[in-house]
Amino acid sequence: MLASLNRATKQYGRTEGVRDLTVEFPPGEVVGVLGLNGSGKSTMLKLLAGLLFPTSGDVAVFDGPARAQRARVVYLGETDALWSWMTPDDAATFMVGLYDDFDVKRYGELLASLAVPRRRTKAMSKGERGRLRLAMALARDAKLYLLDEPLGGIDLLSREKILQSIVRGWHTDETILLSTHEVAEAEGLFERVVYLREGRIALDATAETLRGRGKSVVQTYREVLG
Amino acid sequence: MTIERTCPIDMNAGPIFVQIANHVRQMLARGEIVPGDKLPSARDLAAGLGVNPNTVVHAFAELERMSVIETRRGLGTFVRGDAPVAAMRRDMLRTAAAAFAVEATALGVSTPEALAALKEALNAG
Repeated sequence: MLASLNRATKQYGRTEGVRDLTVEFPPGEVVGVLGLNGSGKSTMLKLLAGLLFPTSGDVAVFDGPARAQRARVVYLGETDALWSWMTPDDAATFMVGLYDDFDVKRYGELLASLAVPRRRTKAMSKGERGRLRLAMALARDAKLYLLDEPLGGIDLLSREKILQSIVRGWHTDETILLSTHEVAEAEGLFERVVYLREGRIALDATAETLRGRGKSVVQTYREVLG
Repeated sequence: MTIERTCPIDMNAGPIFVQIANHVRQMLARGEIVPGDKLPSARDLAAGLGVNPNTVVHAFAELERMSVIETRRGLGTFVRGDAPVAAMRRDMLRTAAAAFAVEATALGVSTPEALAALKEALNAG
Protein backbone atom coordinates (compact mmCIF):
# COMPACT_ATOMS: atom_id res chain seq x y z
CA MET A 1 0.00 0.00 0.00
CA LEU A 2 1.29 3.43 -0.88
CA ALA A 3 -0.51 5.24 1.91
CA SER A 4 -3.00 4.34 4.59
CA LEU A 5 -4.81 5.54 7.65
CA ASN A 6 -5.52 2.94 10.28
CA ARG A 7 -8.16 3.87 12.84
CA ALA A 8 -6.83 7.42 12.76
CA THR A 9 -8.48 10.11 14.85
CA LYS A 10 -7.46 13.75 14.88
CA GLN A 11 -9.00 16.03 17.46
CA TYR A 12 -8.66 19.78 17.54
CA GLY A 13 -9.62 20.64 21.09
CA ARG A 14 -13.09 19.24 21.32
CA THR A 15 -13.83 19.02 17.63
CA GLU A 16 -12.78 16.03 15.59
CA GLY A 17 -11.23 16.40 12.16
CA VAL A 18 -11.35 12.71 11.38
CA ARG A 19 -12.71 9.96 13.55
CA ASP A 20 -11.52 6.35 13.63
CA LEU A 21 -10.72 6.58 9.92
CA THR A 22 -9.39 3.52 8.10
CA VAL A 23 -8.64 3.75 4.40
CA GLU A 24 -5.90 2.52 2.05
CA PHE A 25 -4.51 4.00 -1.15
CA PRO A 26 -2.57 1.72 -3.53
CA PRO A 27 -0.13 3.09 -6.13
CA GLY A 28 -1.61 4.41 -9.36
CA GLU A 29 -4.97 5.80 -8.39
CA VAL A 30 -6.55 9.20 -8.94
CA VAL A 31 -8.87 9.57 -5.98
CA GLY A 32 -11.51 12.23 -5.43
CA VAL A 33 -11.84 13.19 -1.78
CA LEU A 34 -15.33 14.58 -1.46
CA GLY A 35 -17.42 15.97 1.35
CA LEU A 36 -19.11 19.03 2.73
CA ASN A 37 -17.14 21.72 4.58
CA GLY A 38 -15.84 20.32 7.84
CA SER A 39 -16.18 16.68 6.76
CA GLY A 40 -12.48 15.99 7.36
CA LYS A 41 -11.04 16.20 3.83
CA SER A 42 -8.27 18.66 4.68
CA THR A 43 -7.48 16.88 7.92
CA MET A 44 -7.09 13.57 6.11
CA LEU A 45 -4.76 15.10 3.51
CA LYS A 46 -2.70 16.92 6.16
CA LEU A 47 -2.33 13.70 8.15
CA LEU A 48 -1.04 11.93 5.03
CA ALA A 49 1.27 14.87 4.31
CA GLY A 50 2.75 14.51 7.79
CA LEU A 51 1.71 18.05 8.67
CA LEU A 52 -0.59 16.82 11.41
CA PHE A 53 -0.07 13.98 13.83
CA PRO A 54 -3.02 11.74 14.69
CA THR A 55 -4.43 11.93 18.22
CA SER A 56 -4.77 8.15 18.01
CA GLY A 57 -4.26 5.51 15.34
CA ASP A 58 -1.65 5.34 12.59
CA VAL A 59 -0.98 7.12 9.34
CA ALA A 60 1.53 5.38 7.07
CA VAL A 61 3.11 6.50 3.81
CA PHE A 62 5.54 4.26 1.88
CA ASP A 63 5.40 1.86 4.86
CA GLY A 64 6.71 4.44 7.31
CA PRO A 65 5.08 7.03 9.54
CA ALA A 66 3.77 9.90 7.41
CA ARG A 67 5.88 12.42 9.36
CA ALA A 68 9.14 10.82 8.22
CA GLN A 69 8.13 10.93 4.53
CA ARG A 70 7.34 14.61 4.18
CA ALA A 71 10.14 15.29 1.71
CA ARG A 72 8.80 12.57 -0.61
CA VAL A 73 5.16 13.64 -0.66
CA VAL A 74 3.72 16.56 -2.59
CA TYR A 75 1.17 18.56 -0.65
CA LEU A 76 -0.73 21.50 -2.05
CA GLY A 77 -2.65 23.23 0.71
CA GLU A 78 -5.62 25.52 0.59
CA THR A 79 -3.79 28.62 1.72
CA ASP A 80 -1.88 30.72 -0.74
CA ALA A 81 1.46 31.37 0.96
CA LEU A 82 3.31 32.78 -2.04
CA TRP A 83 5.35 35.88 -1.31
CA SER A 84 4.09 38.88 -3.23
CA TRP A 85 7.53 39.77 -4.65
CA MET A 86 8.03 36.29 -6.12
CA THR A 87 8.04 35.67 -9.85
CA PRO A 88 7.64 32.13 -11.24
CA ASP A 89 11.45 32.06 -11.68
CA ASP A 90 11.98 33.01 -8.02
CA ALA A 91 9.56 30.24 -7.10
CA ALA A 92 11.71 27.74 -9.03
CA THR A 93 14.86 28.77 -7.13
CA PHE A 94 12.92 28.44 -3.90
CA MET A 95 11.58 24.97 -4.78
CA VAL A 96 14.98 23.68 -5.99
CA GLY A 97 16.45 24.67 -2.63
CA LEU A 98 13.71 22.85 -0.77
CA TYR A 99 13.15 19.67 -2.75
CA ASP A 100 15.56 17.29 -4.50
CA ASP A 101 12.77 16.03 -6.73
CA PHE A 102 11.86 19.42 -8.26
CA ASP A 103 12.16 19.17 -12.06
CA VAL A 104 12.94 22.58 -13.55
CA LYS A 105 12.28 21.46 -17.13
CA ARG A 106 8.91 20.04 -16.19
CA TYR A 107 8.15 23.24 -14.29
CA GLY A 108 8.80 25.27 -17.44
CA GLU A 109 6.43 23.06 -19.41
CA LEU A 110 3.76 23.39 -16.74
CA LEU A 111 4.09 27.18 -16.63
CA ALA A 112 3.56 27.21 -20.40
CA SER A 113 0.61 24.79 -20.49
CA LEU A 114 -1.03 26.52 -17.54
CA ALA A 115 -0.36 29.93 -19.11
CA VAL A 116 1.23 31.40 -15.98
CA PRO A 117 2.49 34.94 -16.61
CA ARG A 118 6.12 35.69 -15.73
CA ARG A 119 5.42 38.52 -13.32
CA ARG A 120 5.36 38.98 -9.57
CA THR A 121 2.58 37.15 -7.78
CA LYS A 122 1.18 40.41 -6.40
CA ALA A 123 0.33 41.36 -9.99
CA MET A 124 -1.38 38.03 -10.69
CA SER A 125 -5.07 37.16 -10.54
CA LYS A 126 -6.28 34.52 -8.13
CA GLY A 127 -6.56 32.03 -11.02
CA GLU A 128 -3.01 32.75 -12.16
CA ARG A 129 -1.67 32.27 -8.63
CA GLY A 130 -3.63 29.02 -8.35
CA ARG A 131 -2.11 27.80 -11.60
CA LEU A 132 1.39 28.82 -10.44
CA ARG A 133 0.94 26.95 -7.16
CA LEU A 134 -0.20 23.88 -9.06
CA ALA A 135 2.81 24.09 -11.43
CA MET A 136 5.11 24.25 -8.37
CA ALA A 137 3.42 21.15 -6.92
CA LEU A 138 3.21 19.06 -10.10
CA ALA A 139 6.81 19.83 -11.12
CA ARG A 140 7.94 17.63 -8.26
CA ASP A 141 8.56 14.01 -9.12
CA ALA A 142 6.86 12.03 -6.37
CA LYS A 143 4.68 8.99 -5.95
CA LEU A 144 2.03 10.65 -3.80
CA TYR A 145 0.33 13.98 -4.56
CA LEU A 146 -2.10 15.47 -2.07
CA LEU A 147 -3.99 18.35 -3.67
CA ASP A 148 -6.37 20.14 -1.33
CA GLU A 149 -8.92 22.19 -3.28
CA PRO A 150 -6.66 23.12 -6.21
CA LEU A 151 -9.79 24.29 -8.08
CA GLY A 152 -11.19 26.36 -5.22
CA GLY A 153 -12.23 29.91 -5.99
CA ILE A 154 -10.67 30.16 -9.42
CA ASP A 155 -12.21 30.75 -12.83
CA LEU A 156 -13.60 28.10 -15.17
CA LEU A 157 -10.79 28.27 -17.74
CA SER A 158 -8.12 27.99 -15.05
CA ARG A 159 -9.94 24.99 -13.62
CA GLU A 160 -10.00 23.31 -17.03
CA LYS A 161 -6.28 24.01 -17.55
CA ILE A 162 -5.49 22.59 -14.13
CA LEU A 163 -7.46 19.39 -14.73
CA GLN A 164 -5.77 18.92 -18.12
CA SER A 165 -2.31 19.38 -16.59
CA ILE A 166 -3.12 16.78 -13.98
CA VAL A 167 -4.25 14.29 -16.67
CA ARG A 168 -1.16 14.93 -18.79
CA GLY A 169 1.33 14.81 -15.94
CA TRP A 170 0.02 11.73 -14.19
CA HIS A 171 2.09 8.54 -14.40
CA THR A 172 0.36 5.22 -13.86
CA ASP A 173 2.36 4.41 -10.71
CA GLU A 174 1.53 7.70 -8.99
CA THR A 175 -1.38 8.27 -6.66
CA ILE A 176 -3.19 11.59 -6.58
CA LEU A 177 -5.66 12.51 -3.86
CA LEU A 178 -7.64 15.56 -4.88
CA SER A 179 -10.24 17.21 -2.70
CA THR A 180 -12.72 19.48 -4.38
CA HIS A 181 -16.15 21.03 -4.27
CA GLU A 182 -16.12 21.24 -8.08
CA VAL A 183 -17.32 17.67 -8.29
CA ALA A 184 -19.07 17.90 -11.67
CA GLU A 185 -16.00 19.26 -13.43
CA ALA A 186 -13.50 16.92 -11.85
CA GLU A 187 -15.46 13.70 -11.70
CA GLY A 188 -14.22 12.33 -15.03
CA LEU A 189 -10.69 12.41 -13.65
CA PHE A 190 -11.42 10.21 -10.65
CA GLU A 191 -11.07 6.46 -10.73
CA ARG A 192 -12.16 6.23 -7.15
CA VAL A 193 -14.18 8.52 -4.95
CA VAL A 194 -14.07 8.66 -1.17
CA TYR A 195 -17.01 10.50 0.37
CA LEU A 196 -16.39 11.81 3.89
CA ARG A 197 -19.01 12.83 6.41
CA GLU A 198 -18.22 14.00 9.93
CA GLY A 199 -14.68 12.65 9.74
CA ARG A 200 -15.71 9.20 8.60
CA ILE A 201 -16.08 7.41 5.30
CA ALA A 202 -19.65 7.61 4.06
CA LEU A 203 -18.86 5.78 0.80
CA ASP A 204 -15.74 4.52 -0.95
CA ALA A 205 -16.44 3.46 -4.55
CA THR A 206 -15.11 3.21 -8.09
CA ALA A 207 -16.46 6.06 -10.21
CA GLU A 208 -17.19 3.89 -13.25
CA THR A 209 -19.08 1.43 -11.03
CA LEU A 210 -21.31 4.26 -9.80
CA ARG A 211 -21.91 5.40 -13.37
CA GLY A 212 -22.59 1.79 -14.39
CA ARG A 213 -25.52 1.95 -12.00
CA GLY A 214 -26.67 5.09 -13.79
CA LYS A 215 -25.51 7.52 -11.13
CA SER A 216 -22.86 10.13 -11.61
CA VAL A 217 -20.39 10.97 -8.87
CA VAL A 218 -22.36 14.22 -8.40
CA GLN A 219 -25.68 12.46 -8.04
CA THR A 220 -24.15 10.00 -5.59
CA TYR A 221 -22.76 12.97 -3.65
CA ARG A 222 -26.30 14.32 -3.24
CA GLU A 223 -27.62 10.97 -2.14
CA VAL A 224 -24.81 10.07 0.25
CA LEU A 225 -24.14 13.47 1.79
CA GLY A 226 -27.41 15.33 1.24
CA MET B 1 -9.25 13.14 -36.14
CA THR B 2 -11.61 14.92 -33.84
CA ILE B 3 -12.76 12.39 -31.27
CA GLU B 4 -11.82 14.70 -28.41
CA ARG B 5 -13.94 17.49 -29.87
CA THR B 6 -16.98 15.46 -30.86
CA CYS B 7 -17.29 12.87 -28.09
CA PRO B 8 -19.97 13.95 -25.66
CA ILE B 9 -19.46 12.61 -22.15
CA ASP B 10 -22.56 12.43 -19.99
CA MET B 11 -21.78 11.52 -16.40
CA ASN B 12 -25.36 10.28 -15.96
CA ALA B 13 -25.29 8.01 -19.02
CA GLY B 14 -23.34 5.03 -17.74
CA PRO B 15 -19.61 4.23 -17.66
CA ILE B 16 -17.42 6.67 -19.57
CA PHE B 17 -15.41 3.90 -21.20
CA VAL B 18 -18.59 2.59 -22.86
CA GLN B 19 -19.47 6.09 -24.11
CA ILE B 20 -16.01 6.56 -25.66
CA ALA B 21 -16.08 3.11 -27.32
CA ASN B 22 -19.58 3.76 -28.69
CA HIS B 23 -18.52 7.12 -30.03
CA VAL B 24 -15.59 5.63 -31.95
CA ARG B 25 -17.91 2.98 -33.42
CA GLN B 26 -20.39 5.67 -34.37
CA MET B 27 -17.70 7.76 -36.09
CA LEU B 28 -16.67 4.67 -38.08
CA ALA B 29 -20.26 3.84 -39.02
CA ARG B 30 -20.74 7.41 -40.23
CA GLY B 31 -17.52 7.41 -42.19
CA GLU B 32 -16.00 10.20 -40.07
CA ILE B 33 -13.04 7.90 -39.54
CA VAL B 34 -12.03 5.02 -41.80
CA PRO B 35 -10.04 1.78 -41.48
CA GLY B 36 -6.34 2.53 -41.22
CA ASP B 37 -6.84 5.83 -39.39
CA LYS B 38 -4.72 6.46 -36.33
CA LEU B 39 -6.45 7.23 -33.04
CA PRO B 40 -5.06 9.82 -30.62
CA SER B 41 -2.99 8.44 -27.75
CA ALA B 42 -4.93 7.49 -24.65
CA ARG B 43 -3.30 10.35 -22.76
CA ASP B 44 -4.11 13.00 -25.37
CA LEU B 45 -7.67 11.81 -25.69
CA ALA B 46 -8.02 11.68 -21.89
CA ALA B 47 -6.72 15.24 -21.55
CA GLY B 48 -9.01 16.43 -24.34
CA LEU B 49 -12.05 14.83 -22.74
CA GLY B 50 -11.06 15.64 -19.15
CA VAL B 51 -11.16 12.00 -18.09
CA ASN B 52 -8.78 9.59 -16.44
CA PRO B 53 -6.27 8.04 -18.92
CA ASN B 54 -7.13 4.58 -17.57
CA THR B 55 -10.73 5.11 -18.68
CA VAL B 56 -9.56 5.67 -22.27
CA VAL B 57 -7.25 2.65 -22.02
CA HIS B 58 -10.31 0.66 -20.92
CA ALA B 59 -12.34 1.95 -23.89
CA PHE B 60 -9.53 1.05 -26.32
CA ALA B 61 -9.29 -2.45 -24.79
CA GLU B 62 -13.02 -2.87 -25.38
CA LEU B 63 -12.67 -1.75 -29.01
CA GLU B 64 -9.76 -4.16 -29.50
CA ARG B 65 -11.88 -6.96 -28.10
CA MET B 66 -14.57 -6.04 -30.66
CA SER B 67 -11.91 -6.24 -33.46
CA VAL B 68 -12.42 -2.54 -34.25
CA ILE B 69 -8.93 -1.23 -33.45
CA GLU B 70 -5.44 -2.62 -32.97
CA THR B 71 -2.32 -1.42 -31.21
CA ARG B 72 0.85 -1.48 -33.26
CA ARG B 73 3.81 -1.57 -30.93
CA GLY B 74 5.66 1.71 -30.90
CA LEU B 75 3.38 3.24 -33.54
CA GLY B 76 0.08 3.78 -31.78
CA THR B 77 -3.52 2.66 -32.06
CA PHE B 78 -5.21 2.26 -35.44
CA VAL B 79 -8.62 1.36 -36.84
CA ARG B 80 -8.25 -2.18 -38.16
CA GLY B 81 -8.28 -2.67 -41.93
CA ASP B 82 -10.98 -5.31 -41.47
CA ALA B 83 -13.00 -3.38 -38.86
CA PRO B 84 -16.64 -4.55 -39.16
CA VAL B 85 -17.91 -1.20 -40.45
CA ALA B 86 -20.93 -2.57 -42.38
CA ALA B 87 -22.11 -4.55 -39.36
CA MET B 88 -21.75 -1.52 -37.06
CA ARG B 89 -23.70 0.62 -39.54
CA ARG B 90 -26.50 -1.99 -39.62
CA ASP B 91 -26.51 -2.18 -35.80
CA MET B 92 -26.82 1.58 -35.44
CA LEU B 93 -29.55 1.84 -38.05
CA ARG B 94 -31.50 -0.89 -36.21
CA THR B 95 -31.05 0.91 -32.90
CA ALA B 96 -32.29 4.17 -34.42
CA ALA B 97 -35.22 2.37 -36.04
CA ALA B 98 -36.15 0.71 -32.75
CA ALA B 99 -36.15 4.09 -30.99
CA PHE B 100 -38.39 5.52 -33.73
CA ALA B 101 -40.71 2.50 -33.45
CA VAL B 102 -41.03 2.96 -29.69
CA GLU B 103 -41.98 6.61 -30.16
CA ALA B 104 -44.44 5.87 -32.99
CA THR B 105 -46.11 3.15 -30.91
CA ALA B 106 -46.35 5.49 -27.93
CA LEU B 107 -48.06 8.04 -30.19
CA GLY B 108 -50.51 5.35 -31.32
CA VAL B 109 -49.98 5.90 -35.05
CA SER B 110 -50.52 3.15 -37.64
CA THR B 111 -47.60 1.54 -39.46
CA PRO B 112 -48.39 3.24 -42.82
CA GLU B 113 -48.68 6.57 -41.03
CA ALA B 114 -45.33 6.04 -39.26
CA LEU B 115 -43.65 4.96 -42.49
CA ALA B 116 -45.02 7.97 -44.34
CA ALA B 117 -43.65 10.29 -41.66
CA LEU B 118 -40.30 8.53 -41.83
CA LYS B 119 -40.18 8.87 -45.62
CA GLU B 120 -41.06 12.51 -45.40
CA ALA B 121 -38.30 13.13 -42.83
CA LEU B 122 -35.77 11.25 -44.96
CA ASN B 123 -36.65 13.28 -48.02
CA ALA B 124 -36.44 16.50 -46.03
CA GLY B 125 -33.14 15.52 -44.37
